[in-house]
Amino acid sequence: MKKQRTLSRSPKRIALTILGTGFFVILCLIIAFPIVAGLLASFRPGTELIRRGLALDFDISTMTLANYTYLFGGNVDSQKYFMWYKNSLIITLVSVVLTLLICYFVAYGLTMYDFKLRNLLFTLVIATMMVPFEILMLPLYKEIIKLHLIDTYFGVIVIGLCSASTIFFFRQYLGGLPKDLLSAARIDGANEYYISVKIILPLAKPAFASMGILCAMGAWNAILWPLLVLKGAEKFTLPIGLNTLLTPYGNNYDVLIAGSMFGILPIFIIFLLFQKYIIDGMTAGAVKG
Amino acid sequence: MKGKNFLYSQKVAPYVFVLPFILSFAIFWIYPLITAFTMSFQDIGAIKTEWVGLANYTKLLKDKVFMIAVANSTKYMFFTLVLLIPFPMLFAVLMDSNIVKAKGLWKAILYMPALTSVVISGTLFRLMFTEYKTGQMNIISQALGFGTYKWLKNGWSGMLALLVVACWRWTGVNMLYFLSGLKSIDSALYEAADIDGASAFQKFRYVTLPLLKPTTIYVLTISVYAGLAMFLESYMLWAGNSSPNNIGLTIVGYLYKRGIEKNDMGYACAVGVVLLIVALIINFAQLILNGTFKKED
Amino acid sequence: MKKKLLGVLLSTAMVATMLAGCGGGAAAGAADAAADTAEEATEEVAEDATEEAAAEEEIPVSTFGDASGTHLEMWTFVELHGQHYGKMAEIWNEQNPDEKIEITCTTYPYSDMHTKLLTSLEAGTGAPDICDVEVGQFPNVVAGMDQWLVPLDDFAADYMPTMVPARMQTYQGEDGHYYGAPYHVGATAMYYNVAAMAEAMGISNDEVIAKIDSVVTWEDYQALGEEYKAAIADDSKYWTSVDTGGTDWLWLAMAEYGDDWTGGFEGPANCQLDSVKNMLSLQQDWLKSGLAQISPDGHVDLEAGFQNILDHNIVSFPKALWYMSRFTNYMPEEKGNWYIAKCPVFEAGQKCSVGIGGTGTVVTQQSANKDLAAKFLCWAKMSDEGEQNIWDTLGFDVCNTAMWTQDSFAHDDNNQFNQFFINYPYDVLNDIGMDNIGKISVVAISPTINEYVCTTTLNEVLEDPEYSIDDALQELQDAVDMEQ
Repeated sequence: MKKQRTLSRSPKRIALTILGTGFFVILCLIIAFPIVAGLLASFRPGTELIRRGLALDFDISTMTLANYTYLFGGNVDSQKYFMWYKNSLIITLVSVVLTLLICYFVAYGLTMYDFKLRNLLFTLVIATMMVPFEILMLPLYKEIIKLHLIDTYFGVIVIGLCSASTIFFFRQYLGGLPKDLLSAARIDGANEYYISVKIILPLAKPAFASMGILCAMGAWNAILWPLLVLKGAEKFTLPIGLNTLLTPYGNNYDVLIAGSMFGILPIFIIFLLFQKYIIDGMTAGAVKG
Repeated sequence: MKGKNFLYSQKVAPYVFVLPFILSFAIFWIYPLITAFTMSFQDIGAIKTEWVGLANYTKLLKDKVFMIAVANSTKYMFFTLVLLIPFPMLFAVLMDSNIVKAKGLWKAILYMPALTSVVISGTLFRLMFTEYKTGQMNIISQALGFGTYKWLKNGWSGMLALLVVACWRWTGVNMLYFLSGLKSIDSALYEAADIDGASAFQKFRYVTLPLLKPTTIYVLTISVYAGLAMFLESYMLWAGNSSPNNIGLTIVGYLYKRGIEKNDMGYACAVGVVLLIVALIINFAQLILNGTFKKED
Repeated sequence: MKKKLLGVLLSTAMVATMLAGCGGGAAAGAADAAADTAEEATEEVAEDATEEAAAEEEIPVSTFGDASGTHLEMWTFVELHGQHYGKMAEIWNEQNPDEKIEITCTTYPYSDMHTKLLTSLEAGTGAPDICDVEVGQFPNVVAGMDQWLVPLDDFAADYMPTMVPARMQTYQGEDGHYYGAPYHVGATAMYYNVAAMAEAMGISNDEVIAKIDSVVTWEDYQALGEEYKAAIADDSKYWTSVDTGGTDWLWLAMAEYGDDWTGGFEGPANCQLDSVKNMLSLQQDWLKSGLAQISPDGHVDLEAGFQNILDHNIVSFPKALWYMSRFTNYMPEEKGNWYIAKCPVFEAGQKCSVGIGGTGTVVTQQSANKDLAAKFLCWAKMSDEGEQNIWDTLGFDVCNTAMWTQDSFAHDDNNQFNQFFINYPYDVLNDIGMDNIGKISVVAISPTINEYVCTTTLNEVLEDPEYSIDDALQELQDAVDMEQ
């Protein structure tokens, strides 16, 4: 199903492969550097970080599992950490699924039909992407209180469900699909909703996958709005919780770095799950006329 | 049954599809947007709020610090466009070709930075760019015989640090956009090009590039706004919103200074409105030029 | 072409129906079905989770006191602060069985907590009963005066005579009422690395301490620094470091002369002060002569600053007493090396300290139990019991001077700070005396001044020691005038 072009094992081809792969090896080494440094720091006491900065050696003598055993130790901090972790997982999963579906259908409507309000609505979509959230914060907060959504997870996710950038991405993606798919299906008597779900949606898998990853990332890392809506430490999400470790009165590096490193995990799993759909993509047969 | 037919008609269906957006816009955007806009004409105090007409805007035009912020944000946006569109696109094309092995691994690593919380990546980069001798940048510079340098105190190196953080975080994400864009390209086109004896460059130039256009436009649009609205990276790099001679101050950083740190929401809203207008102008100009609003045939 | 497409569509449709028929079980290929199941799954997860949370015993994250008592909500941005109130609530309930309380303390991230507080005060709903406010943010909150906050005057009256006056005034509103209860004095003192000095100068610790104790003026301080520099003869070692990203040195200078660049509530702000000029020109001299370096990354309270101290690149610097906890947290290996002393002055007889930093705790008007909340707050922060716990758990220099002279309190050898430093921190405070601790107002114009000084003025004057101080201060004044 991939582009199966001539796969001659010529020396030129091998050289190219070494070059191409080598390029990514180098790029990834550079990109991974801060993460490796962070990972190493998470195995050291916070005072080591102060003492030597981001030392990139594997000096076992200074390394310790203490930060992680503390994090998993079942003490009050560790209970809180996993409570925040769970909250973040719930919020992220629910909002990713809902956002993807809603945005897909909105984008579908904006792309596949030629209707009166189309350009106006699309303009609004783009415009809402350009508003700095900080100036909406106060009025939005008042509104959420009036709607009785304060201190609820629904209040946290509801404002992001119609994410303009996600709609825009789907629109750009769907616009690239051949329109004759639609007319053909209509001739066959399929109704509009059936086409959108059963015919076009499967073709948009790569878009779903990349937007899924993006939305998950946004939801997982969101801090300002969840913080305004939620009250009480038992409802906090992970980024809010981790941020409480940074104070003007000193930072708790021990837990902060270990906690952040372990916090990458779920979102990384989501990435691994979704990214294979990007590879799948459009099979040659599906659209070839 | 009649109602069902009505809902199923090709005329009504689009409205059903876009209904969630219309609802969300009506509920969560109109009121806050209007409020924010009115606030930009007010002096909002803790006890009383007064109308001040255009005073916030006229003050803004005279405000030297705001001009620094605009210049920084614009510069940053420009460089991120230069760095974060062509390179991730090339990386995606390369990644999509069959000369790269172990693709999953590289993609995973490239995407990792975006997953790391800004709190932690900011701290890591601050330690790397510190003017103290233990910073990685200074270790390199000392090894090259230049001695230590105050990376976060000089304009050019401060911008460099911001761009390094930006490239580090977003290269993988933008590559991801392009990768999924590449998947919407019918492979038959490449086969046809192969038959015509096109070179790799020609295939890129005449097949990939034009067909990636929708994705490129998308990345361009969000990058324009993301560049203009950058704040967190600067906040983390300088451990706060104050940088020497404001080399790291951005428009949203300034909005924070006014709105949050000094609680002058009226003035902050004026800053926000200006940002909104600038971003809108750039993006609509760009979208119209690119033909995004044109009816497709 | 049409035919082929039709075929594809038909087969897609068939596959889809088939899949729908088997309930989406093996829906590996059909994204829609996958999405549906995913959604169901998440909903289930969400439901399970909420049920679980309800069923599980609530994790006692932050609620203290007696469940039958009056409930109070408290926000802070430092978890230890919350624990202080928790402990105090237990003691309160023992002492006041008819006025029992239950307090929930929530720790929020620092800047976001202030955003949330201001947002809820402005919205008129959602604020807690009691809230910590960092001194830099205090002007924004106190601007609402008695519309937003409860005046604490009556509740604090009993403790007032022995409270450090400068600290209480820091949290005054424009109307003269006290709206915030302080945790600490934040008295600025000079930290000296006696061990490093002794080693470099080849004399004993006691001899070094004798030299330090004889320092009265900045001239003396400079002379001792020159002596140290001459002894160590190493260009990479300095006597002190001056800050481009912090105003501590300037605040100290102003307090010594009794100046205040903000002009207080009446204003106008005037930054072209002799005290500021004197300090800056002193620092320029030190930079030129190599006595001082510029603090790496701007000030000593950052990672690079700690490294600099650990590497003994500087052996003295002025900082508020709360900096002691930086030593115990980040620089444990420095234990036993450091000595704390009064700051030098420009002219003998001047004040020699200034209160820096701090957090004022407020009671909001949105509280349903204002009186009780205010009474509890003042007691928890100003009474003997409160101060004892602040020193033990938070390690702050407490504001109630009645405690300073109590031997069991000030000379408690179990206290980690008493152990860490060569001398007793409270001896230094007593030596300074409560009336010699100056105060710089924190008012609406303060952020503007601070910001311009830290981003521009100090960088101009210190990064280029030849820069004209008068010019730099003129620029500062112009920037400040634009805002007032």
